[in-house]
Amino acid sequence: MKISVLQENLAHGLSIVSRAVSSRSTLPVLANVLIATDEGRLRLSATNLELGITCWIGAKIQEEGSTTVPARTFTELVSTLTDKQVDMNLNVRTQTLNVRCGASNTDLKCIDAQEFPPMPVPDLSDGIQINVADLKEMIQQVAFAASTDDARPILTGVQVSLNGNRITLSAADGFRLSVRHAELSSAVPNPVSAVIPARALVELSRIATDGEQVVTMILPPGRSQVIFRTRDTELVSQLIDGVFPDLVQLIPKSYRTRALLSTASFLKACKQAEIFAREGSRIARLNVQAGGEMQPGTVEITGQSEETGHNQTVIDASVEGSSQMIAFNVRFLREALDVIKTPNVALETNSDTSPGVLRPVGEESFVHVIMPMHVSN
Amino acid sequence: MPIQTLPQEVASQIAAGEVVERPASVVKELLENSLDAGASFISVKVEEAGKSLIEVVDDGAGIPAGELHLAVARHATSKLRSAEDLFHISTLGFRGEALASITSVSRTTITSRTKDAASATRLRIEGGIVGEASAVGAPPGTVVRVEDLFYNVPARLKFLKSDVTEKRQIDILATRYALAYPHVRLHLIQDGKPTLQTSGNGNQREILAALYGADIARQMLEVYAQEEGLGLRGFISPVALTRSNRREITLFVNGRPVQDTALTAALLQAYHTLLMVGRYPLAALFLSLPAEEVDVNVHPTKAEVRFRESGKIFSFFTRSVRKALMAALPAPGMDGFSSEWGQPKWRNLDRDSAQPTWSEPLRRQPAVDWGEENAPPPEPPGEAPVQEAQAPVFQQPRVPSLAAPILRLVGQIASAYLVAEGPDGLYLVDQHAAHERVLYEKMMAQHLDAAGQPGKIPAQALLQPALVELPAAAARLVTEQLSLLEHLGFEVEPFGPGAFLVRAVPVLLSGMDAGAALRVLVEDFEEDETPLQSELEARVIARVCKRAAVKAGQALSADEQRALLHDLEACQSPRTCPHGRPTMIHLSVDLLERQFGRRGAR
Repeated sequence: MKISVLQENLAHGLSIVSRAVSSRSTLPVLANVLIATDEGRLRLSATNLELGITCWIGAKIQEEGSTTVPARTFTELVSTLTDKQVDMNLNVRTQTLNVRCGASNTDLKCIDAQEFPPMPVPDLSDGIQINVADLKEMIQQVAFAASTDDARPILTGVQVSLNGNRITLSAADGFRLSVRHAELSSAVPNPVSAVIPARALVELSRIATDGEQVVTMILPPGRSQVIFRTRDTELVSQLIDGVFPDLVQLIPKSYRTRALLSTASFLKACKQAEIFAREGSRIARLNVQAGGEMQPGTVEITGQSEETGHNQTVIDASVEGSSQMIAFNVRFLREALDVIKTPNVALETNSDTSPGVLRPVGEESFVHVIMPMHVSN
Repeated sequence: MPIQTLPQEVASQIAAGEVVERPASVVKELLENSLDAGASFISVKVEEAGKSLIEVVDDGAGIPAGELHLAVARHATSKLRSAEDLFHISTLGFRGEALASITSVSRTTITSRTKDAASATRLRIEGGIVGEASAVGAPPGTVVRVEDLFYNVPARLKFLKSDVTEKRQIDILATRYALAYPHVRLHLIQDGKPTLQTSGNGNQREILAALYGADIARQMLEVYAQEEGLGLRGFISPVALTRSNRREITLFVNGRPVQDTALTAALLQAYHTLLMVGRYPLAALFLSLPAEEVDVNVHPTKAEVRFRESGKIFSFFTRSVRKALMAALPAPGMDGFSSEWGQPKWRNLDRDSAQPTWSEPLRRQPAVDWGEENAPPPEPPGEAPVQEAQAPVFQQPRVPSLAAPILRLVGQIASAYLVAEGPDGLYLVDQHAAHERVLYEKMMAQHLDAAGQPGKIPAQALLQPALVELPAAAARLVTEQLSLLEHLGFEVEPFGPGAFLVRAVPVLLSGMDAGAALRVLVEDFEEDETPLQSELEARVIARVCKRAAVKAGQALSADEQRALLHDLEACQSPRTCPHGRPTMIHLSVDLLERQFGRRGAR
């Protein structure tokens, strides 16, 4: 293998794939990045067997070939190279990669590419086209609600369902759930559904840059894998087996109290309450007061702790229905409000022991449910 | 055999069996008589473990010549007049049986002289048969000389333990009385050798050394508390010093040694969560309370007593001990373990550096000086409480808050222990035990509201209730305890036979699988019998925390490690986990220097 690449491209490619490098594996080759010539471009791949990321960069290929280079060493080296062009030449017999860049000349010990786990070659024709910007927003609004606890693995995933021209992402961690819909440009022939690790989706939203228009999602039949492909990158993830709970049935259909308030003010109040609630059990008490004839309703948000003190913010709100006291984990509230893009948000409750629902006002596609905390007064 | 009235001698021998069962009982009865007589000096001489001679000499009030023959008669006493007197007894004796019983199973000589009598009177009794009184010359006070104990009850003689055991019993008994009456000079001479000599200057710690040895006596913590007529003083062992049985727990009520399981339980309660399972503290504690609050007439040797308001007394007892314990709870150093794990050589190194001095433990404590000025009155039983009742509560020694040292994280080793630097050396922290303690205190704090009343622990509702299926016995336990569970933040509802829905879990446990959390509780219910409600809650909480705490082998991020140390510092008893295992081991800089041979290597 004898190739020349631009240092800038190589560094960028390595930064994308290195997130999938497994640092603590018993398989030494998983700490390496595969570099291989591939149809006139250079392919960089890394995998930890659950998640694999591939990135293609432009290269001038004089001789085809492939090898795997130690990810950390190579990344550090490339980031310090100063000249534009990097020439790489592999000695196949010794698996030594010579890297030349300007005055710098390095020999890197590599591992034979044969040992690297084969990456699936997807059939792109079955792919589903999803708008990148939509997908990134959906992931941002849903993935944080997935569980980080491995006790119930299914909840560490995000369910992606496709039906007709509608895509739905949903996630829950036992105390809250997030559901977000979007439209597809073209309908899928058959409804499909898969549970994808939330971490993989977060990586996807990181590597799918805004410059790209669409990402292609492929669910190869019978492989328990999902592949997301853009022009220059590909992400492969194992799916999570199991039955995902039916979250939609957990969303309350009605409410007794509905408060409309400014998302920004609500978020700010929660952030302040959290400073104090942090010490305790992250309890934020909400007192939703229905307004009278002349004055608007209010929502009072309180956070307190034995040690640090007590914080209270009163926000004007348009309250429909009866007054309601309810307590939530303030972190859950803050994280949900963080991803609500509309200027106003609706908080719907039924009682202090039944779920609270957050809905962006004027945006039907997103709903977030938080279970209350039961506290004595 | 026809029914017949037993001869006098046989009857008194049977009765004597209740009171005098071994030589130590004779010593006890005679000692108590001397103490009741207001003696300031008592000498006890014992030969052949008491089988050939027990002689008790005192300088007390003495017995008038005319009453001497009455003193040895059954049911004759100067300490009681009427049945009502039984309920405010201020003397140790009152039954009028001791001397009669002793004289019926031995050859006894009593010599006594009151202060204003011209001469002493001597009376000799053999096997209950009273001889003639004769006038002799003797100093004021009484001498009781018991020879050939059990000579006429050979069966009893056969049942005595070995001489060594009986001697030891007498030693322990005399020492305990010495401890209870530090202002009485007490000498014990066994087979011509003095085994105990107290100065009568009121210094209890000196006597403690005779009881437990100097090393242990030095480590013992002082207890001193007064409240509403109740008084408690004495010594308890620090948590690092334990025994595998309750034998070293000595309890006195109004100057009277008692074996009260309830009081012992109250003492153990004070050590709750601080000692490992199966370990018991050492203690010598003296409880004083108004005489009418306690009924001592329930047991022939008065080893048992009944309290009128037992709940109040036990709670005072537990609280006072706990307070003293908390005030001086150190992290076990390496030498702290030596009492339990044999004698590692660390210990000797450390010992050399600190010469044992009597002042040292006192300095370390909120000093309650038992010296003459501050000492509570030497407790004439029955009178003291009146005076104590007026003593304002704030006179109690102020207990310094028992904070953990401020720790700087160094790192984690073996994915199980945190290494930290404190102001006085190196600390190794067991991450599981530490987290358990943190969770336990957080949960207990949530459980008790500001007024200390049990409240409801905040619960986090579950999105979907968790279904838990339990075997029948466990299911019944859960059904019985639903309201307790709700208090603890578990909202559980029955869902068909043997099945339950968990709708909410305590906030602190929200990271844990709800079903598993409930199962842990059920296991706990099964092991318990019928514990008190408050104990049950604490135990359940401890149990849950054990399950919820980070395990050994779990790698923690630097931030998590720091947070854990920080939380531990905030705990009230950060040095042990709720089950009594230590959370931290302290290696002092001094110890390290010694180990590296920087300072006077051995």
